[in-house]
Amino acid sequence: MEAIRNALDFSDFPRLDLIVAGSVGIAFIIFPLFPHSSFAMSTMIQFLMFSLYGMGWNTIGGYGGQVDLGKAQYVGIGAYTTAVMLILWDVPFWVSMPIGMCFSVVWSFIIGYPLFRLKGHYFAIATIATSLVLKDIFEVWDFVGAARGLEISPIKYHPPDFLRLIFKEDVYYFYVILGFFFLGVLYMNWFRKSRLGFQLRSIKDNEDVARSLGINVHWAKVKTYAIATAFVSMVGSFHACYIKSIEPEDTMSLDISILIALMAMLGGAGSLWGPIIGAGILIPLKSYLKEWLGAQAGMVGIDLILYALIIMVISAFEPRGVWGIVEKIRRRKRN
Amino acid sequence: MAFLEVHNLTKDFGGLRANSNITFSAKRGELIGLIGPNGAGKTTLFNCISGLHPVTSGRIIFDAEDITKLKAHEVAQRGLARTFQVYVASGDLTVIENVMVGCFMRTHLRSRAKARASEILKDLSIDDTADYLVTELPVAAQKRVTMATAIASDPKLLLLDEVAAGLNPNEIDEIMASIRHVHDDMGITVMLIEHVMELVMKISHRVIVLDYGEKIAEGDPEAISKDPRVIKAYLGERYVQEHEGGIVGSKE
Repeated sequence: MEAIRNALDFSDFPRLDLIVAGSVGIAFIIFPLFPHSSFAMSTMIQFLMFSLYGMGWNTIGGYGGQVDLGKAQYVGIGAYTTAVMLILWDVPFWVSMPIGMCFSVVWSFIIGYPLFRLKGHYFAIATIATSLVLKDIFEVWDFVGAARGLEISPIKYHPPDFLRLIFKEDVYYFYVILGFFFLGVLYMNWFRKSRLGFQLRSIKDNEDVARSLGINVHWAKVKTYAIATAFVSMVGSFHACYIKSIEPEDTMSLDISILIALMAMLGGAGSLWGPIIGAGILIPLKSYLKEWLGAQAGMVGIDLILYALIIMVISAFEPRGVWGIVEKIRRRKRN
Repeated sequence: MAFLEVHNLTKDFGGLRANSNITFSAKRGELIGLIGPNGAGKTTLFNCISGLHPVTSGRIIFDAEDITKLKAHEVAQRGLARTFQVYVASGDLTVIENVMVGCFMRTHLRSRAKARASEILKDLSIDDTADYLVTELPVAAQKRVTMATAIASDPKLLLLDEVAAGLNPNEIDEIMASIRHVHDDMGITVMLIEHVMELVMKISHRVIVLDYGEKIAEGDPEAISKDPRVIKAYLGERYVQEHEGGIVGSKE
Protein backbone atom coordinates (compact mmCIF):
# COMPACT_ATOMS: atom_id res chain seq x y z
CA MET A 1 0.00 0.00 0.00
CA GLU A 2 2.69 2.41 1.02
CA ALA A 3 4.62 1.51 -2.13
CA ILE A 4 1.71 2.67 -4.29
CA ARG A 5 1.37 5.85 -2.31
CA ASN A 6 5.08 6.54 -2.70
CA ALA A 7 4.93 5.88 -6.43
CA LEU A 8 2.11 8.40 -6.86
CA ASP A 9 3.59 10.97 -4.51
CA PHE A 10 5.68 13.60 -6.28
CA SER A 11 5.26 16.20 -3.56
CA ASP A 12 8.95 16.47 -2.73
CA PHE A 13 9.61 18.13 -6.09
CA PRO A 14 9.36 21.90 -6.42
CA ARG A 15 6.10 23.10 -7.95
CA LEU A 16 7.85 24.28 -11.10
CA ASP A 17 9.04 20.73 -11.82
CA LEU A 18 5.56 19.37 -11.43
CA ILE A 19 4.04 21.98 -13.73
CA VAL A 20 6.68 21.31 -16.39
CA ALA A 21 6.43 17.52 -16.01
CA GLY A 22 2.62 17.65 -16.07
CA SER A 23 2.49 19.83 -19.18
CA VAL A 24 5.02 17.66 -20.98
CA GLY A 25 3.01 14.58 -20.03
CA ILE A 26 -0.19 16.09 -21.40
CA ALA A 27 1.65 17.26 -24.52
CA PHE A 28 2.72 13.64 -25.11
CA ILE A 29 -0.84 12.41 -24.76
CA ILE A 30 -2.31 14.88 -27.25
CA PHE A 31 0.68 14.91 -29.60
CA PRO A 32 -0.88 12.53 -32.19
CA LEU A 33 -3.95 14.78 -32.50
CA PHE A 34 -1.85 17.45 -34.16
CA PRO A 35 -0.55 17.19 -37.69
CA HIS A 36 2.85 15.56 -37.69
CA SER A 37 5.19 13.85 -40.09
CA SER A 38 5.80 10.12 -39.81
CA PHE A 39 9.40 11.04 -39.11
CA ALA A 40 8.35 13.05 -36.04
CA MET A 41 6.17 10.16 -34.89
CA SER A 42 8.92 7.58 -35.17
CA THR A 43 11.35 9.93 -33.41
CA MET A 44 8.82 10.31 -30.63
CA ILE A 45 8.45 6.54 -30.25
CA GLN A 46 12.23 6.14 -30.25
CA PHE A 47 12.46 8.83 -27.61
CA LEU A 48 9.97 7.05 -25.34
CA MET A 49 11.73 3.72 -25.83
CA PHE A 50 15.10 5.15 -25.01
CA SER A 51 13.71 7.01 -22.00
CA LEU A 52 12.64 3.64 -20.65
CA TYR A 53 15.99 2.05 -21.43
CA GLY A 54 17.58 4.99 -19.64
CA MET A 55 15.31 4.62 -16.61
CA GLY A 56 16.32 0.98 -16.35
CA TRP A 57 19.98 1.88 -16.66
CA ASN A 58 19.52 4.63 -14.10
CA THR A 59 18.65 2.17 -11.31
CA ILE A 60 21.99 0.39 -11.33
CA GLY A 61 24.07 2.95 -13.21
CA GLY A 62 22.69 6.18 -11.79
CA TYR A 63 21.57 5.45 -8.25
CA GLY A 64 24.02 2.58 -7.80
CA GLY A 65 26.94 4.16 -9.64
CA GLN A 66 27.82 0.92 -11.45
CA VAL A 67 28.59 1.97 -15.01
CA ASP A 68 26.94 -0.70 -17.09
CA LEU A 69 27.78 -0.69 -20.79
CA GLY A 70 26.07 -3.95 -21.70
CA LYS A 71 22.39 -3.16 -21.62
CA ALA A 72 21.94 -3.99 -25.35
CA GLN A 73 22.15 -7.72 -24.62
CA TYR A 74 18.83 -7.45 -22.81
CA VAL A 75 17.25 -5.49 -25.63
CA GLY A 76 18.24 -8.51 -27.72
CA ILE A 77 16.91 -11.12 -25.31
CA GLY A 78 13.57 -9.33 -25.04
CA ALA A 79 13.26 -8.71 -28.78
CA TYR A 80 14.25 -12.24 -29.79
CA THR A 81 12.01 -13.91 -27.23
CA THR A 82 8.98 -12.02 -28.48
CA ALA A 83 9.85 -12.45 -32.16
CA VAL A 84 10.62 -16.18 -31.94
CA MET A 85 7.53 -16.94 -29.89
CA LEU A 86 5.30 -14.95 -32.21
CA ILE A 87 6.69 -16.38 -35.43
CA LEU A 88 6.93 -20.02 -34.36
CA TRP A 89 4.05 -20.43 -31.94
CA ASP A 90 1.90 -17.34 -32.45
CA VAL A 91 2.34 -16.33 -28.81
CA PRO A 92 0.86 -12.87 -28.07
CA PHE A 93 3.10 -10.01 -27.05
CA TRP A 94 1.55 -9.74 -23.60
CA VAL A 95 2.64 -13.31 -22.84
CA SER A 96 6.02 -13.29 -24.54
CA MET A 97 7.06 -9.98 -23.00
CA PRO A 98 6.99 -11.25 -19.38
CA ILE A 99 8.63 -14.49 -20.51
CA GLY A 100 11.37 -12.43 -22.16
CA MET A 101 11.76 -10.48 -18.95
CA CYS A 102 12.16 -13.74 -17.04
CA PHE A 103 14.84 -14.94 -19.47
CA SER A 104 16.61 -11.62 -19.13
CA VAL A 105 16.47 -11.66 -15.35
CA VAL A 106 17.80 -15.22 -15.21
CA TRP A 107 20.62 -14.26 -17.58
CA SER A 108 21.29 -11.15 -15.51
CA PHE A 109 21.75 -13.28 -12.40
CA ILE A 110 24.07 -15.65 -14.22
CA ILE A 111 26.36 -12.89 -15.39
CA GLY A 112 25.64 -10.35 -12.63
CA TYR A 113 26.64 -12.64 -9.81
CA PRO A 114 30.28 -12.99 -10.89
CA LEU A 115 30.48 -9.58 -12.58
CA PHE A 116 29.70 -7.62 -9.45
CA ARG A 117 32.85 -9.01 -7.86
CA LEU A 118 34.50 -6.47 -10.17
CA LYS A 119 34.53 -2.75 -9.59
CA GLY A 120 34.66 0.48 -11.57
CA HIS A 121 36.21 0.25 -15.02
CA TYR A 122 36.67 -3.50 -14.78
CA PHE A 123 32.97 -3.92 -14.27
CA ALA A 124 32.17 -1.63 -17.20
CA ILE A 125 34.49 -3.54 -19.52
CA ALA A 126 33.12 -6.89 -18.39
CA THR A 127 29.55 -5.79 -19.19
CA ILE A 128 30.64 -4.81 -22.69
CA ALA A 129 32.28 -8.19 -23.13
CA THR A 130 29.26 -10.25 -22.05
CA SER A 131 27.00 -8.23 -24.33
CA LEU A 132 29.27 -8.74 -27.32
CA VAL A 133 29.64 -12.45 -26.64
CA LEU A 134 25.88 -12.85 -26.60
CA LYS A 135 25.61 -10.92 -29.84
CA ASP A 136 28.20 -13.21 -31.45
CA ILE A 137 26.27 -16.25 -30.31
CA PHE A 138 23.07 -14.92 -31.87
CA GLU A 139 24.92 -14.14 -35.09
CA VAL A 140 25.72 -17.82 -35.66
CA TRP A 141 22.64 -19.37 -34.06
CA ASP A 142 20.46 -20.68 -36.88
CA PHE A 143 17.38 -21.13 -34.72
CA VAL A 144 17.09 -17.34 -34.37
CA GLY A 145 18.03 -16.66 -37.97
CA ALA A 146 21.73 -16.10 -37.32
CA ALA A 147 23.06 -12.86 -38.80
CA ARG A 148 20.04 -12.44 -41.09
CA GLY A 149 17.83 -12.10 -38.05
CA LEU A 150 14.08 -12.57 -37.89
CA GLU A 151 11.24 -10.95 -39.73
CA ILE A 152 7.71 -10.56 -38.42
CA SER A 153 5.52 -10.44 -41.49
CA PRO A 154 2.49 -8.22 -40.83
CA ILE A 155 0.54 -9.81 -43.72
CA LYS A 156 -0.17 -12.88 -41.60
CA TYR A 157 -2.02 -10.83 -39.02
CA HIS A 158 -4.98 -8.52 -39.05
CA PRO A 159 -3.91 -5.13 -37.78
CA PRO A 160 -4.79 -3.55 -35.47
CA ASP A 161 -3.94 -6.66 -33.47
CA PHE A 162 -3.73 -5.56 -29.85
CA LEU A 163 -2.84 -9.02 -28.56
CA ARG A 164 0.18 -9.48 -30.78
CA LEU A 165 0.93 -5.77 -30.97
CA ILE A 166 0.84 -5.68 -34.77
CA PHE A 167 -0.35 -2.34 -36.11
CA LYS A 168 -0.24 -0.53 -39.43
CA GLU A 169 -0.25 2.97 -37.97
CA ASP A 170 2.48 4.16 -35.65
CA VAL A 171 0.00 5.96 -33.44
CA TYR A 172 -1.01 2.65 -31.78
CA TYR A 173 2.60 1.90 -30.97
CA PHE A 174 2.94 5.40 -29.66
CA TYR A 175 0.16 4.98 -27.12
CA VAL A 176 1.37 1.55 -26.02
CA ILE A 177 4.88 2.79 -25.34
CA LEU A 178 3.53 5.97 -23.76
CA GLY A 179 1.62 3.79 -21.32
CA PHE A 180 4.83 1.92 -20.48
CA PHE A 181 6.56 5.26 -20.15
CA PHE A 182 4.12 6.57 -17.54
CA LEU A 183 4.31 3.31 -15.61
CA GLY A 184 8.09 3.53 -15.82
CA VAL A 185 8.06 7.03 -14.32
CA LEU A 186 5.83 5.84 -11.47
CA TYR A 187 8.05 2.84 -10.85
CA MET A 188 11.17 4.99 -10.77
CA ASN A 189 9.45 7.45 -8.45
CA TRP A 190 8.86 4.57 -6.08
CA PHE A 191 12.33 3.16 -6.58
CA ARG A 192 14.21 6.32 -5.69
CA LYS A 193 12.38 6.44 -2.36
CA SER A 194 12.55 2.75 -1.60
CA ARG A 195 14.87 0.97 0.78
CA LEU A 196 16.79 -0.47 -2.16
CA GLY A 197 17.12 3.00 -3.69
CA PHE A 198 18.62 4.39 -0.50
CA GLN A 199 20.90 1.41 -0.14
CA LEU A 200 22.21 1.90 -3.67
CA ARG A 201 22.92 5.56 -3.13
CA SER A 202 24.87 4.61 -0.05
CA ILE A 203 26.77 1.95 -2.01
CA LYS A 204 27.60 4.43 -4.75
CA ASP A 205 29.08 6.74 -2.19
CA ASN A 206 31.19 4.33 -0.16
CA GLU A 207 30.85 0.54 -0.08
CA ASP A 208 32.55 0.00 3.27
CA VAL A 209 30.23 2.48 4.92
CA ALA A 210 27.26 0.82 3.23
CA ARG A 211 28.38 -2.55 4.63
CA SER A 212 28.70 -1.16 8.10
CA LEU A 213 25.11 0.06 7.81
CA GLY A 214 24.00 -3.53 7.34
CA ILE A 215 23.68 -3.47 3.55
CA ASN A 216 24.56 -6.62 1.65
CA VAL A 217 26.35 -4.74 -1.10
CA HIS A 218 26.79 -7.58 -3.57
CA TRP A 219 23.21 -8.78 -3.33
CA ALA A 220 21.81 -5.25 -3.58
CA LYS A 221 23.75 -4.74 -6.81
CA VAL A 222 22.70 -8.07 -8.31
CA LYS A 223 19.06 -7.40 -7.44
CA THR A 224 19.09 -3.93 -8.95
CA TYR A 225 20.87 -5.16 -12.05
CA ALA A 226 17.97 -7.58 -12.52
CA ILE A 227 15.46 -4.71 -12.20
CA ALA A 228 17.34 -2.66 -14.78
CA THR A 229 17.40 -5.70 -17.01
CA ALA A 230 13.66 -6.28 -16.76
CA PHE A 231 13.02 -2.70 -17.88
CA VAL A 232 15.28 -3.00 -20.89
CA SER A 233 13.95 -6.41 -21.85
CA MET A 234 10.36 -5.17 -21.76
CA VAL A 235 11.14 -2.41 -24.23
CA GLY A 236 13.19 -4.86 -26.29
CA SER A 237 10.06 -6.97 -26.74
CA PHE A 238 8.19 -3.86 -27.86
CA HIS A 239 11.02 -3.10 -30.27
CA ALA A 240 10.50 -6.46 -31.99
CA CYS A 241 6.81 -5.79 -32.66
CA TYR A 242 7.40 -2.19 -33.64
CA ILE A 243 10.35 -2.60 -36.00
CA LYS A 244 9.23 -6.11 -37.10
CA SER A 245 12.67 -6.97 -38.36
CA ILE A 246 15.39 -7.72 -35.87
CA GLU A 247 18.97 -8.77 -36.29
CA PRO A 248 21.83 -9.01 -33.80
CA GLU A 249 23.52 -5.94 -35.22
CA ASP A 250 20.71 -3.50 -34.55
CA THR A 251 19.46 -4.89 -31.24
CA MET A 252 22.63 -5.89 -29.44
CA SER A 253 25.40 -3.70 -30.79
CA LEU A 254 27.72 -1.70 -28.57
CA ASP A 255 26.28 1.58 -29.94
CA ILE A 256 22.98 0.89 -28.25
CA SER A 257 24.57 0.04 -24.92
CA ILE A 258 26.62 3.20 -25.02
CA LEU A 259 23.70 5.34 -26.14
CA ILE A 260 21.58 4.08 -23.23
CA ALA A 261 24.25 4.89 -20.66
CA LEU A 262 25.15 8.17 -22.32
CA MET A 263 21.59 9.46 -22.36
CA ALA A 264 21.11 8.85 -18.67
CA MET A 265 24.44 10.46 -17.86
CA LEU A 266 23.78 13.47 -20.08
CA GLY A 267 20.37 14.09 -18.55
CA GLY A 268 21.51 13.38 -15.01
CA ALA A 269 22.36 9.96 -13.63
CA GLY A 270 20.69 9.22 -10.32
CA SER A 271 17.73 11.54 -10.80
CA LEU A 272 14.16 10.82 -11.80
CA TRP A 273 14.04 13.18 -14.78
CA GLY A 274 17.62 12.66 -15.95
CA PRO A 275 17.15 9.79 -18.41
CA ILE A 276 14.08 11.46 -19.91
CA ILE A 277 15.90 14.75 -20.44
CA GLY A 278 18.89 12.89 -21.86
CA ALA A 279 16.75 10.93 -24.30
CA GLY A 280 14.89 14.12 -25.19
CA ILE A 281 18.15 15.73 -26.23
CA LEU A 282 19.99 12.84 -27.84
CA ILE A 283 17.29 10.94 -29.72
CA PRO A 284 16.01 13.85 -31.86
CA LEU A 285 19.62 14.90 -32.42
CA LYS A 286 20.53 11.41 -33.53
CA SER A 287 17.50 11.08 -35.83
CA TYR A 288 18.04 14.46 -37.50
CA LEU A 289 21.74 13.89 -37.89
CA LYS A 290 21.04 10.58 -39.52
CA GLU A 291 18.46 12.18 -41.80
CA TRP A 292 20.53 15.16 -42.87
CA LEU A 293 24.12 14.07 -42.71
CA GLY A 294 23.83 10.33 -43.04
CA ALA A 295 22.72 10.64 -46.65
CA GLN A 296 25.94 12.37 -47.58
CA ALA A 297 28.87 10.10 -48.21
CA GLY A 298 31.59 10.21 -45.59
CA MET A 299 29.35 11.62 -42.87
CA VAL A 300 28.02 8.30 -41.57
CA GLY A 301 30.06 8.14 -38.36
CA ILE A 302 29.40 11.70 -37.34
CA ASP A 303 26.97 10.79 -34.55
CA LEU A 304 29.65 8.67 -32.88
CA ILE A 305 32.01 11.64 -32.84
CA LEU A 306 29.24 13.65 -31.28
CA TYR A 307 28.72 11.04 -28.51
CA ALA A 308 32.42 11.09 -27.73
CA LEU A 309 32.30 14.87 -27.50
CA ILE A 310 29.33 14.75 -25.13
CA ILE A 311 31.07 12.21 -22.87
CA MET A 312 34.09 14.49 -22.62
CA VAL A 313 32.03 17.59 -21.91
CA ILE A 314 29.96 15.88 -19.19
CA SER A 315 32.93 14.37 -17.41
CA ALA A 316 34.85 17.64 -17.54
CA PHE A 317 32.14 20.07 -16.47
CA GLU A 318 29.25 18.45 -14.70
CA PRO A 319 29.33 14.72 -13.99
CA ARG A 320 25.73 14.92 -12.85
CA GLY A 321 24.51 16.05 -16.23
CA VAL A 322 21.84 18.56 -17.16
CA TRP A 323 19.84 17.85 -14.03
CA GLY A 324 22.97 18.36 -11.95
CA ILE A 325 23.26 21.88 -13.36
CA VAL A 326 19.62 22.62 -12.54
CA GLU A 327 20.06 21.42 -8.96
CA LYS A 328 23.26 23.39 -8.54
CA ILE A 329 21.55 26.61 -9.59
CA ARG A 330 18.65 25.90 -7.23
CA ARG A 331 20.91 25.32 -4.26
CA ARG A 332 22.85 28.48 -4.99
CA LYS A 333 19.61 30.45 -5.06
CA ARG A 334 18.41 28.97 -1.80
CA ASN A 335 21.59 29.50 0.20
CA MET B 1 30.32 -13.84 29.52
CA ALA B 2 31.16 -10.29 28.57
CA PHE B 3 29.22 -8.33 25.97
CA LEU B 4 32.14 -7.98 23.58
CA GLU B 5 35.12 -10.29 23.83
CA VAL B 6 38.19 -10.11 21.65
CA HIS B 7 40.53 -13.06 22.05
CA ASN B 8 44.10 -13.05 20.78
CA LEU B 9 43.21 -11.04 17.73
CA THR B 10 45.98 -10.79 15.15
CA LYS B 11 45.75 -9.01 11.81
CA ASP B 12 48.51 -9.08 9.18
CA PHE B 13 48.65 -7.02 6.03
CA GLY B 14 51.20 -8.94 4.01
CA GLY B 15 54.34 -8.77 6.13
CA LEU B 16 53.01 -6.05 8.39
CA ARG B 17 51.43 -7.03 11.68
CA ALA B 18 48.82 -4.35 12.35
CA ASN B 19 47.23 -6.01 15.37
CA SER B 20 49.16 -8.48 17.44
CA ASN B 21 47.51 -10.83 19.87
CA ILE B 22 45.05 -8.32 21.29
CA THR B 23 42.73 -9.51 24.04
CA PHE B 24 40.15 -7.41 25.83
CA SER B 25 36.50 -7.43 26.74
CA ALA B 26 33.74 -4.93 27.29
CA LYS B 27 30.74 -5.15 29.56
CA ARG B 28 27.28 -4.10 28.50
CA GLY B 29 26.85 -0.41 29.21
CA GLU B 30 30.53 0.40 29.36
CA LEU B 31 32.21 3.36 27.69
CA ILE B 32 35.70 2.43 26.58
CA GLY B 33 38.40 4.67 25.14
CA LEU B 34 40.97 3.33 22.70
CA ILE B 35 44.11 5.43 22.38
CA GLY B 36 47.58 5.12 20.95
CA PRO B 37 49.94 6.83 18.52
CA ASN B 38 49.19 7.03 14.80
CA GLY B 39 49.68 3.68 13.14
CA ALA B 40 49.16 1.77 16.38
CA GLY B 41 46.37 -0.29 14.82
CA LYS B 42 43.32 1.31 16.42
CA THR B 43 41.28 1.68 13.25
CA THR B 44 42.41 -1.75 12.08
CA LEU B 45 41.05 -3.18 15.30
CA PHE B 46 37.71 -1.47 14.64
CA ASN B 47 37.72 -2.78 11.07
CA CYS B 48 38.33 -6.31 12.33
CA ILE B 49 35.60 -6.13 14.96
CA SER B 50 33.07 -4.69 12.50
CA GLY B 51 33.90 -7.35 9.93
CA LEU B 52 35.40 -5.14 7.22
CA HIS B 53 38.76 -6.90 7.55
CA PRO B 54 38.96 -10.68 7.89
CA VAL B 55 41.14 -11.43 10.90
CA THR B 56 44.36 -13.41 10.55
CA SER B 57 43.76 -15.26 13.80
CA GLY B 58 41.81 -14.88 17.00
CA ARG B 59 38.16 -14.73 17.91
CA ILE B 60 35.57 -12.03 18.39
CA ILE B 61 32.47 -12.73 20.45
CA PHE B 62 29.65 -10.20 20.44
CA ASP B 63 26.54 -10.63 22.56
CA ALA B 64 27.20 -14.34 23.08
CA GLU B 65 27.76 -15.02 19.40
CA ASP B 66 30.99 -15.69 17.54
CA ILE B 67 31.13 -12.99 14.86
CA THR B 68 34.72 -13.58 13.74
CA LYS B 69 33.76 -15.04 10.38
CA LEU B 70 30.71 -12.88 9.69
CA LYS B 71 30.64 -10.33 6.91
CA ALA B 72 30.41 -6.63 7.74
CA HIS B 73 26.72 -6.29 6.92
CA GLU B 74 25.89 -9.34 9.04
CA VAL B 75 27.82 -7.91 11.96
CA ALA B 76 25.97 -4.62 11.54
CA GLN B 77 22.62 -6.39 11.50
CA ARG B 78 23.45 -7.96 14.85
CA GLY B 79 23.62 -4.52 16.40
CA LEU B 80 27.18 -3.34 16.01
CA ALA B 81 27.41 0.11 14.42
CA ARG B 82 30.40 2.29 13.71
CA THR B 83 31.56 5.59 12.29
CA PHE B 84 34.54 6.20 10.05
CA GLN B 85 37.53 8.42 10.60
CA VAL B 86 37.70 10.22 7.27
CA TYR B 87 34.28 9.56 5.87
CA VAL B 88 31.50 11.81 7.04
CA ALA B 89 28.35 11.08 5.07
CA SER B 90 27.18 10.86 1.50
CA GLY B 91 27.49 14.24 -0.20
CA ASP B 92 24.68 13.46 -2.65
CA LEU B 93 22.15 12.89 0.10
CA THR B 94 20.58 15.34 2.48
CA VAL B 95 21.15 14.97 6.19
CA ILE B 96 17.88 13.19 6.84
CA GLU B 97 18.38 10.90 3.84
CA ASN B 98 21.77 9.89 5.20
CA VAL B 99 20.24 8.98 8.53
CA MET B 100 17.40 7.14 6.77
CA VAL B 101 19.92 4.77 5.17
CA GLY B 102 20.73 3.65 8.71
CA CYS B 103 17.05 3.39 9.65
CA PHE B 104 16.33 1.19 6.63
CA MET B 105 18.31 -1.58 8.29
CA ARG B 106 15.39 -2.17 10.65
CA THR B 107 12.42 -1.39 8.44
CA HIS B 108 11.31 -1.65 4.82
CA LEU B 109 8.86 1.22 5.12
CA ARG B 110 9.95 4.66 4.05
CA SER B 111 7.47 6.37 6.35
CA ARG B 112 8.83 4.55 9.38
CA ALA B 113 12.44 5.19 8.37
CA LYS B 114 11.71 8.87 7.93
CA ALA B 115 9.93 9.20 11.26
CA ARG B 116 12.75 7.44 13.09
CA ALA B 117 15.37 9.58 11.32
CA SER B 118 13.68 12.83 12.36
CA GLU B 119 13.50 11.54 15.91
CA ILE B 120 17.22 10.87 15.96
CA LEU B 121 18.07 14.23 14.41
CA LYS B 122 16.02 15.93 17.08
CA ASP B 123 17.74 13.86 19.73
CA LEU B 124 21.16 15.01 18.60
CA SER B 125 19.78 18.55 18.11
CA ILE B 126 20.55 18.77 14.40
CA ASP B 127 16.96 18.60 13.17
CA ASP B 128 17.22 22.13 11.75
CA THR B 129 19.74 20.83 9.20
CA ALA B 130 17.57 17.94 7.97
CA ASP B 131 17.16 19.11 4.37
CA TYR B 132 20.68 20.38 3.79
CA LEU B 133 23.37 18.48 1.97
CA VAL B 134 26.00 17.26 4.39
CA THR B 135 28.67 19.19 2.50
CA GLU B 136 26.85 22.44 3.28
CA LEU B 137 27.26 21.99 7.05
CA PRO B 138 30.11 22.98 9.37
CA VAL B 139 32.41 20.16 10.52
CA ALA B 140 30.86 19.84 13.97
CA ALA B 141 27.40 19.27 12.50
CA GLN B 142 28.81 16.81 9.98
CA LYS B 143 30.27 14.74 12.82
CA ARG B 144 26.84 14.58 14.43
CA VAL B 145 25.31 13.39 11.17
CA THR B 146 27.86 10.58 11.14
CA MET B 147 26.85 9.64 14.66
CA ALA B 148 23.16 9.95 13.86
CA THR B 149 23.52 7.62 10.86
CA ALA B 150 25.34 5.05 12.97
CA ILE B 151 22.79 5.02 15.78
CA ALA B 152 19.88 5.04 13.32
CA SER B 153 20.01 1.26 13.14
CA ASP B 154 19.40 0.98 16.90
CA PRO B 155 22.74 -0.67 17.68
CA LYS B 156 23.76 -2.27 20.94
CA LEU B 157 27.40 -1.36 20.51
CA LEU B 158 28.73 1.76 18.81
CA LEU B 159 32.33 2.16 17.66
CA LEU B 160 33.29 5.81 17.19
CA ASP B 161 36.42 6.53 15.19
CA GLU B 162 37.73 10.02 16.00
CA VAL B 163 34.46 11.94 16.09
CA ALA B 164 36.11 14.88 17.85
CA ALA B 165 38.99 15.36 15.41
CA GLY B 166 39.18 18.88 14.03
CA LEU B 167 36.71 20.42 16.47
CA ASN B 168 37.27 23.46 18.69
CA PRO B 169 36.94 23.20 22.51
CA ASN B 170 33.29 24.28 22.52
CA GLU B 171 32.37 21.80 19.86
CA ILE B 172 34.27 19.09 21.71
CA ASP B 173 32.10 19.76 24.76
CA GLU B 174 28.99 19.47 22.61
CA ILE B 175 30.01 16.22 20.96
CA MET B 176 30.97 14.90 24.38
CA ALA B 177 27.46 15.67 25.58
CA SER B 178 26.08 13.83 22.53
CA ILE B 179 28.23 10.78 23.24
CA ARG B 180 27.06 10.81 26.85
CA HIS B 181 23.47 11.09 25.68
CA VAL B 182 23.89 8.12 23.34
CA HIS B 183 25.52 6.12 26.10
CA ASP B 184 23.51 7.11 29.16
CA ASP B 185 20.04 7.74 27.76
CA MET B 186 19.90 5.39 24.80
CA GLY B 187 21.74 2.65 26.62
CA ILE B 188 24.25 1.98 23.88
CA THR B 189 27.64 0.57 24.80
CA VAL B 190 30.31 2.81 23.30
CA MET B 191 33.91 2.28 22.32
CA LEU B 192 35.79 5.25 20.93
CA ILE B 193 39.09 5.97 19.28
CA GLU B 194 40.20 9.48 20.07
CA HIS B 195 43.26 11.68 20.10
CA VAL B 196 41.54 14.42 22.07
CA MET B 197 42.62 13.40 25.55
CA GLU B 198 40.32 15.92 27.24
CA LEU B 199 37.43 13.92 25.86
CA VAL B 200 38.72 10.37 26.31
CA MET B 201 39.94 10.82 29.84
CA LYS B 202 36.79 12.61 30.91
CA ILE B 203 34.14 10.22 29.67
CA SER B 204 35.74 6.79 29.44
CA HIS B 205 35.15 4.24 32.16
CA ARG B 206 38.16 2.37 30.97
CA VAL B 207 40.97 3.08 28.51
CA ILE B 208 42.85 0.63 26.33
CA VAL B 209 46.19 1.69 24.86
CA LEU B 210 47.68 0.28 21.68
CA ASP B 211 51.21 0.74 20.43
CA TYR B 212 52.74 -0.97 17.40
CA GLY B 213 49.71 -3.20 17.15
CA GLU B 214 49.93 -4.47 20.71
CA LYS B 215 47.90 -3.70 23.76
CA ILE B 216 50.35 -2.06 26.15
CA ALA B 217 47.99 -0.97 28.88
CA GLU B 218 44.42 -1.11 30.08
CA GLY B 219 42.77 0.53 33.05
CA ASP B 220 40.77 3.46 34.35
CA PRO B 221 41.70 6.88 32.94
CA GLU B 222 43.59 7.93 36.02
CA ALA B 223 45.83 4.89 36.10
CA ILE B 224 46.42 5.13 32.34
CA SER B 225 47.54 8.75 32.51
CA LYS B 226 50.14 7.77 35.09
CA ASP B 227 51.32 4.59 33.40
CA PRO B 228 54.98 5.13 32.45
CA ARG B 229 54.68 2.98 29.31
CA VAL B 230 51.70 4.97 28.04
CA ILE B 231 53.46 8.24 28.78
CA LYS B 232 56.53 7.07 26.89
CA ALA B 233 54.65 5.67 23.90
CA TYR B 234 51.90 8.24 23.50
CA LEU B 235 51.00 10.89 26.05
CA GLY B 236 54.46 12.37 26.51
CA GLU B 237 55.97 14.09 29.56
CA ARG B 238 54.46 17.44 28.70
CA TYR B 239 50.94 16.13 28.80
CA VAL B 240 51.46 14.75 32.28
CA GLN B 241 52.91 18.01 33.57
CA GLU B 242 50.19 20.14 32.05
CA HIS B 243 47.42 18.00 33.36
CA GLU B 244 48.79 17.23 36.81
CA GLY B 245 45.60 16.42 38.68
CA GLY B 246 43.75 18.25 35.91
CA ILE B 247 41.31 16.74 33.51
CA VAL B 248 40.96 13.36 35.11
CA GLY B 249 40.05 15.03 38.36
CA SER B 250 37.26 16.97 36.73
CA LYS B 251 35.44 13.84 35.65
CA GLU B 252 31.79 14.10 36.57
